Amino acid sequence: MATKRTLLKEIITNRILFIMLLPTIAFFLINSYVPMVGVYYAFTKFDFKRSLFNSEFVGLQNFEFLWKSGILTKLTLNTLGYNLAFIIIGNVLAIVTAILLSELRIKWFKKLTQSIMFLPYFISFVILSVIVYNVFSYENGFLNTLLKSLSIEPVDVYNTPWAWVILIVLFYIWKNLGYSMIIYLAAITGISDEYYEAAKIDGANIFQRTWYITVPMLKPTFVVLLLFALGSIMKGQFDLFYQLIGNNGVLYNATDILDTYVYRSLKVTFDIGMASSAGLYQSLFGFVLVVTVNYIIRKVNEDYALF
Amino acid sequence: MKIKDEKYTGLFHSIAYTVILLATIACLFPFILVISASFTQNDSIVKDGFHLIPKVFSLEGYRLVFRFPEHILNAYGVTVLTTVVGTLLGLLFITMAGYVLQRKDFQYRNAFSFFIYFTTLFGGGLVPWYIMMTKYLNLMDTYTVLIFPGLMTPFLIILMKNFIRSAVPDEIIESAKIDGANDFKIYYRIVLQLSMPGIATVGLFLALAYWNDWFLSSLFINKQDMYQLQFYLYNVINTIQFITQMGAGTGVSLGGDIPTESTKMAMAIIATGPIVFLYPFVQRYFVKGLTIGAVKG
Amino acid sequence: MKKKGKILTSILASIMFVSVLAGCANSGNNASSSASPSDETSKSPSASASAPAESSSTGLDTSKKVELQFYMLGDAPKDLPAIQAEINKMAEAELNATVQFNFTSWTDWDQKYKLLLSSGQPVDLIFTADWTQYQSYAKSGAFLPLDELLPAAAPKLQQFVPQDMWEAVKIDGKIYTVPATYKEYVNNGFVYREDLREKYNLPVPKDIASFEQYLDGIKKNEPNIQPLSLNSDVKTNFMDVFREINDDTIGGPLPYGIGIKYGKPAEVYSYWGSDEQKKDLETIQRWQQKGYFPKNVLNVKDTLQDPITSGKAAAILGDNPNRYNDTMIKMLSTHPEWKLGYTPYAETRGFATPVHPIHNGFAIPQSSKNPERALAFYEKLVTDKRYNQLTEYGIEGKNYTVEDGYYKMVGDSTSNGFPREGMQGWAWRNPEYMLFDKSYDGVKEIFDRLDAVAKPDLFTGFVEDYSTYQPERAALEQVEKQYFYPLYAGLVKNIDEGIKTAMDKANNAGLEKVQNSYKEQWAAYTASKGIK
Repeated sequence: MATKRTLLKEIITNRILFIMLLPTIAFFLINSYVPMVGVYYAFTKFDFKRSLFNSEFVGLQNFEFLWKSGILTKLTLNTLGYNLAFIIIGNVLAIVTAILLSELRIKWFKKLTQSIMFLPYFISFVILSVIVYNVFSYENGFLNTLLKSLSIEPVDVYNTPWAWVILIVLFYIWKNLGYSMIIYLAAITGISDEYYEAAKIDGANIFQRTWYITVPMLKPTFVVLLLFALGSIMKGQFDLFYQLIGNNGVLYNATDILDTYVYRSLKVTFDIGMASSAGLYQSLFGFVLVVTVNYIIRKVNEDYALF
Repeated sequence: MKIKDEKYTGLFHSIAYTVILLATIACLFPFILVISASFTQNDSIVKDGFHLIPKVFSLEGYRLVFRFPEHILNAYGVTVLTTVVGTLLGLLFITMAGYVLQRKDFQYRNAFSFFIYFTTLFGGGLVPWYIMMTKYLNLMDTYTVLIFPGLMTPFLIILMKNFIRSAVPDEIIESAKIDGANDFKIYYRIVLQLSMPGIATVGLFLALAYWNDWFLSSLFINKQDMYQLQFYLYNVINTIQFITQMGAGTGVSLGGDIPTESTKMAMAIIATGPIVFLYPFVQRYFVKGLTIGAVKG
Repeated sequence: MKKKGKILTSILASIMFVSVLAGCANSGNNASSSASPSDETSKSPSASASAPAESSSTGLDTSKKVELQFYMLGDAPKDLPAIQAEINKMAEAELNATVQFNFTSWTDWDQKYKLLLSSGQPVDLIFTADWTQYQSYAKSGAFLPLDELLPAAAPKLQQFVPQDMWEAVKIDGKIYTVPATYKEYVNNGFVYREDLREKYNLPVPKDIASFEQYLDGIKKNEPNIQPLSLNSDVKTNFMDVFREINDDTIGGPLPYGIGIKYGKPAEVYSYWGSDEQKKDLETIQRWQQKGYFPKNVLNVKDTLQDPITSGKAAAILGDNPNRYNDTMIKMLSTHPEWKLGYTPYAETRGFATPVHPIHNGFAIPQSSKNPERALAFYEKLVTDKRYNQLTEYGIEGKNYTVEDGYYKMVGDSTSNGFPREGMQGWAWRNPEYMLFDKSYDGVKEIFDRLDAVAKPDLFTGFVEDYSTYQPERAALEQVEKQYFYPLYAGLVKNIDEGIKTAMDKANNAGLEKVQNSYKEQWAAYTASKGIK
């Protein structure tokens, strides 16, 4: 354990490490921290003729459109709900497939299936929405043509909000499974064989080995993915919702999230202030959540905590 | 005892093969639809929708994409360039950062981790960042602007940090230090060698991000011969969306240039193609036992 | 451990602080230098204005060579570099200026348009239109007023554009854009399959009733054809058009359920919740239930025209003459035996309105470093035949030829590097130099018919100031999408109830406040323009 040192002393002792970290620090300063002054836009009235800090300060006025809509709570809950489903189901499935895949013995099969599972990642939501429409459209979609040929009443999926709760989660996972699976697969590759050998000698079967060795070893990776996902829990996946649901107001109660709402509200007017205020709301939410969760993780096991 | 274990293993494997096979089919099916649609005559798509086998076979989708082949080739070139340069540079910085941040004797590692992570939480929005890029760094219409913003993401750095931490035992670093190796040498000679699966993964993600990026081209590139492939294609698709959204009252009319459904699908295929070949290359590193041997040898 | 935590936080705090400081320092720069463009612009015109004051005979100071940044929406044509080189040869000799033609592409064009204007990036000329929110941008100070620049930098252009057009584009008494002078119509008309209509002896669509009979006839006789082509933009492509032919709307699109009739322009009423709306929605619901358009129309992403050209659908409720003509040409190229008919709404409504001067124009943004030269260049673009034809049609011989006074493209649109109006040069069209494709005769003929019954556009000159009800506006946008769109698509079974729910939500979102404010502004507008 290193002893406490002053910053200067630390820089001198670990100068090479500092130099190695320098590009990263510079990158985030330029790319992220300096532009962060823009947060102030959230509190001003945008003016083409005046600069940011000379613009009129309007307090929380830009936030009004969020709570005046009367649906902020609903949007927040929807966004939270979907993201939690994405995180939990997505990670569980990614871990399961990664474990199963790592145990496959037939090499070509293993490699081929891995590659194929990555394919959906390349299909943009624009394209996906076209496919989905072709499957579910009422008059001549895949599904209803099938149902009709079996003499079953056709179903109107695009008028059934609850169905989309499931479908959206499904499509999200479908698209991202390959991506998150790889992370776990790489982590499994990194687990030393010695553990398994030892367990085998102790008489543990493959299920036990998986449960008592592999799964615990994946925890740090899971925590990283979790904390990153939590930080942006109010944001993201705009394209998924926007492309699949689009203008279909019938489904909004079940499928509208903060991002889609903000997009629609600001499409017609360019109000930098309002856009910034929405972003700030999302950030604050994620910030509080992450700091809390990280604190809990730190209590449980310091090594797993992010910071 | 032994027999029982084999029984379990057999059961496990049959579950594994079944689940993976099902998942694979689910992933493959829509992709085949897209391929099929890309070879279907446009009128047929509009009228009859998608089918696993084209109802009316046609190459018109591809013909339209390739009507100016030099554009596509150019865009391919730009994308390959930015992807390769960006991924290599990004990997260098990310592995260095990941290595430093996991060193237990680096006292401020948590502070710096937070410094990096914090940027995922708060952002100043598009406008100040845009001003930074165009006005202060003067990066409009440069290759730098296509590479720089994507070099690092907090996620990949932290991921790398974790990969290195689990792949490189502290004792190895300690003993190397005792042997007189400096910090950079440890990174270069030991850490890089030991964390190949992690590097392969992060490298793949970086490459994917560069390959799929259209946003930077959209914002910062005016010269058509500097468009990235994804933007070139995405823009064509967007033009359709734009026209759908413009009411007759705007008077906007783009005549015969409107791209078609089959074109969209052909583009999806063209954009996917090459990167799919990258993955098997990365797969090589997902083999157990490879890493330890590399260092011992 | 605890101590370490404390130290960590203090370090963290200091790092944050430093970065914030750095941020502030930079933002200080940021502030001062993003203030500078407006300073510069306010200085430089006066500075350069003082220069020509010394040599007032020339009117324009061209002593310093400048590069102008020209921004247009959409995609650049392939041969743009060649055109730009040609233009620059002339511009350098005549104005000591070169121009860089930039294009936003259609991807996120609205977002980029906003960025260009708000980031302080040097932009000298930019396209404006009613649908790019010219009125609001001008009102909020994104553009430079041209009133004093025009006589100094572009006297010929000032002469060229008729005085009433200059008047029409004024926002708060100032000119912010140079309007296009070419007269065209973007009023709607019914588009239908004439061959099918003849075959089944259906009425020519003239109004909603006869159009419905036509749709019904198609549904009965051609069960595999979808009678009406429609997509998810049910407000723009359906409701607004429906109201244009059925409810005598003044123009539009009218926001927040506002109703104003062309016949009674001074009267503003709430269309939402009115009996008029209920009747309209009943008709639409009937169409939906009879299967004239798809049940899942809210998720349809096709263009309106594609289903027509491929034979999937048999009618568009309303399209403008130009687009109708394009659709017909495209359809005939694969199905020469079909016919496409068109009835302009003017035949029923009794009048048509040529586009408002605001519809197409070019403005000089606040951030322009060389507003005078920019305007002088734009004058060339419009009034000089060489500049104009080069940027509208490309290079003669290479991109097009002129035969019997008609424009003829070399090759076709897939091989030609500069199709007709390849730079989207709608705004700098000059009627004197315009060349038309032979196929355009159809449109011209329709325009001639509309000319005979032309009346002025009373709506587009209105500038809405929504700064006082921005939050309500956002909320209403949401209500319309969530509760009115399903009604517009005919999906709500009980219309009375549907309207009631939607109105409740709209009222909660502040409908009254918004409509009242709109009413007041409209009254002020009509009073000032003498519209009764």
